[in-house]
Amino acid sequence: MNQKLLSGILKSVSKPGRYTGGEFNSIIKDKSKVDVRFAFCFPDTYEIGMSNLGVRILYEALNQKENVWCERVYAPWVDMDEKMQEYGIPLSAHESGDAVKDFDIVAFTLQYEMCYTTALHMLKLAGLPLLAKDRGEDAPVILGGGPCAYNPEPVADFFDIFSIGEGEEALPELCALYAEMKKSGRYTKSAFLREAAKLEGFYVPSLYSVSYREDGTIEAYTPLYEDVPKTVRKRIIKDLDEAVYPEKLVMPYIETVHDRVVLEVNRGCIRGCRFCQAGMVYRPIREKSPEKLCKLAKCLYENSGYQEISLISLSISDYSRIAELTDLLLEWTDERHVSLSLPSLRIDSFSEELMKKVSSIRTGGITFAPEAGTQRLRDAINKNVTEEDLMQAVGIAFGAGKNNVKLYFMNGLPTEEVEDVVAIADLAKKVVHRFYQTPNRNKARPVSVTVSVSCFVPKPFTPFQWVGQDTLASLKEKQEALRLAIQDKKIRYNWHDAEVSHIEAVFARGDRRLSAALLLAAEENMMFDAWDEFFSFEKWLDVFARAGIDPAFYANRTFGLDECLPWDIIDCGVSKSYLKREYERAYRHETTPNCAEHCNGCGANKLGGKTKWCR
Amino acid sequence: MVPIIADDAILYPAATLRVRFRKTGALQYISHLDLVRTFEKVLVRAGLPLWYSEGFNPHPRFSFSTPMSIGLESLYELMDVKIEKKVNCEAVKEALNRNLTAECVVEEVYYPDTKFTDISLASYEIVLQTAGADEALAEKCGAALRGSPVTVLKRTKSGEKETDISPMIIKSEASFAEGKILLAVTLTVDNEKFLNPEYIVTYLKETLGVLSGSPLEEAYSILRTGLYGKSGELFR
Ligand code: SF4
Repeated sequence: MNQKLLSGILKSVSKPGRYTGGEFNSIIKDKSKVDVRFAFCFPDTYEIGMSNLGVRILYEALNQKENVWCERVYAPWVDMDEKMQEYGIPLSAHESGDAVKDFDIVAFTLQYEMCYTTALHMLKLAGLPLLAKDRGEDAPVILGGGPCAYNPEPVADFFDIFSIGEGEEALPELCALYAEMKKSGRYTKSAFLREAAKLEGFYVPSLYSVSYREDGTIEAYTPLYEDVPKTVRKRIIKDLDEAVYPEKLVMPYIETVHDRVVLEVNRGCIRGCRFCQAGMVYRPIREKSPEKLCKLAKCLYENSGYQEISLISLSISDYSRIAELTDLLLEWTDERHVSLSLPSLRIDSFSEELMKKVSSIRTGGITFAPEAGTQRLRDAINKNVTEEDLMQAVGIAFGAGKNNVKLYFMNGLPTEEVEDVVAIADLAKKVVHRFYQTPNRNKARPVSVTVSVSCFVPKPFTPFQWVGQDTLASLKEKQEALRLAIQDKKIRYNWHDAEVSHIEAVFARGDRRLSAALLLAAEENMMFDAWDEFFSFEKWLDVFARAGIDPAFYANRTFGLDECLPWDIIDCGVSKSYLKREYERAYRHETTPNCAEHCNGCGANKLGGKTKWCR
Repeated sequence: MVPIIADDAILYPAATLRVRFRKTGALQYISHLDLVRTFEKVLVRAGLPLWYSEGFNPHPRFSFSTPMSIGLESLYELMDVKIEKKVNCEAVKEALNRNLTAECVVEEVYYPDTKFTDISLASYEIVLQTAGADEALAEKCGAALRGSPVTVLKRTKSGEKETDISPMIIKSEASFAEGKILLAVTLTVDNEKFLNPEYIVTYLKETLGVLSGSPLEEAYSILRTGLYGKSGELFR
């Protein structure tokens, strides 16, 4: 337990169980016997961080190394944060309670752009200078990773090094290098970073100079030394069946976001939706075998006591052996009162059979994501589902006794017109209508259709990476048009804050110059921007103005196809020529077949890996 | 190793098993509800032949003797679990302890012949580490708690209310040792007359000004030491 947090303080904050540690299965090592103290920071609350699968996998992968002790660190909630600042208590690690600033490597997983301020705030709480160039030899090596590291540039000035791609093998390698250099006396921070830059999948931003053109766009990235790679290729795990996966879970004492066993079924997605970053950066598509998954599931159930197993995947129904897997699991889960949950069901693969298996014990809501209201726009984004698919899927759901469904859409998609947005209302109406056409519908309760609309954010390494985001005015206008178009009381309409999406777009497509704004944001104590109650658009506009940054340059400008992009320094496998091809097809409203039908030569196959489809 | 299950026959009706445990350290910061969630998983992990409720969403059935508020450590907690097969108590105890940390330890597992509704009193050791702690202040604390009325703002179903809690304080003794004030109190824990020991500390804070300094230097702890029946006998 973290003894350094005093009981008087713990008793005065909300949910003190967030801070105490001491969880069952948390890993305690003898610090005198390890070479590398590794602090794995999650820049959000304990409840969210504890539910993150990536953290669990990497915690296991690092702690399997005898000479490495990886501990967890979470962002204290605002009440605790205040107390820590008031009494000068530094940010500490969950397992040992030792101050983060005394660790060897401090890693942050960057899951969403809106966590950047929280990450910087944690550095501040740890008592570390924010800018990499201001931290001395004694300061830990600060590492960034996670999905946002595919465009690390907006935070490049704060980090010493980024891990690009899958970290299960890469991070232990980095630790081994660190331990070896410390032991042999070769270690200085700069020597270490220089060496680390030669490992596959590590990007050291300080080893590149960036030049800009007069119009503000990037001219080039130039490595400072001969032996520094021109681009950094992401790491992948070649064979998922052989990948490290925890067999024991750290068991939180307090309720977290996902209190269940989470089984990662595959990586990558065969679909190629043109707005989806995950669908591109996790390529090539690799699967685990049902046998391996079932064994893992049983082991995790026995070691955790969770009564729910959630299969996760970008698109679970595209897992090529889904029937086999669910059958294997149901052999033992039913009798032990363990329920299965399958999120992210695709509309066109939703079947009665799947529904029966999944709802066999527990039932929850059903969510489908048509993403757009018209077929034309669905074709432009390559969603590859039709209205008939949706009607059939909701028909099955209603027939099985469901009376509420949730539909996810996006607005502001490239090529979108107001008609496309208003069509969402028609589609929702048809779903309501479909309910009343279902003979064996559940008549006990009224039907309810929830329409949830988020705003499109152009993301790096997607075919839409070049596209400027709709202006705020246009996004809001479309949101309002849809609100007016939805008249039916049975349809509930939720929409996402367009202002948050705008800031997200700035950072998603930002470059190094944004660090000036982030520094000001840190001075303003901005954090938890992913939380509605803390996000302040005015504050963001203010820091951008003070830093001399025009947010529209990053968010709303359509980038030139031949422009050097901030993330060109990273090679995520998928080639730029493929993305360009897809971009052009989008504007011709042409769909592209999925990888199971036909390999489209995206380029990710060059990374290798045991895959079924890649040619 | 002795197996947990003593007899494979399904019991009708389900049997009740009592688990006595202590929880200290980090466990004091876990809310009652979170402790319930934690134990649900511990019981499954330990492999107990749990009885599941019927219906749509089957759940194991178990309950705790008395509410445990945040900040409370305890040497004497009881939990009743419904099981569908006869078990070896000692094996259950070992299995539970393998699935708990050192801050939560099962001391005894047995088939009970009492009901939680018969619990009437609980004893506590409260330690105050406060500026100005000495014999005299200790005596004052003891006297204050023995006096009447002892008025606190008490949370009730109908909001906060000024309440005289002196009838709920059955015993209170104070002493001074190693720079700290030690209070040994016995409070009522019957359903309607449940007194959270936090109120004792709150009352002393408000009336005698203890613990008014920095949390870096001052602290208090509350430890439940026993549960008792109506006539003061140790509840088992
Ligand atoms: S290489 Fe072909 S099959 Fe593999 S992810 Fe790319 S397009 Fe799909």
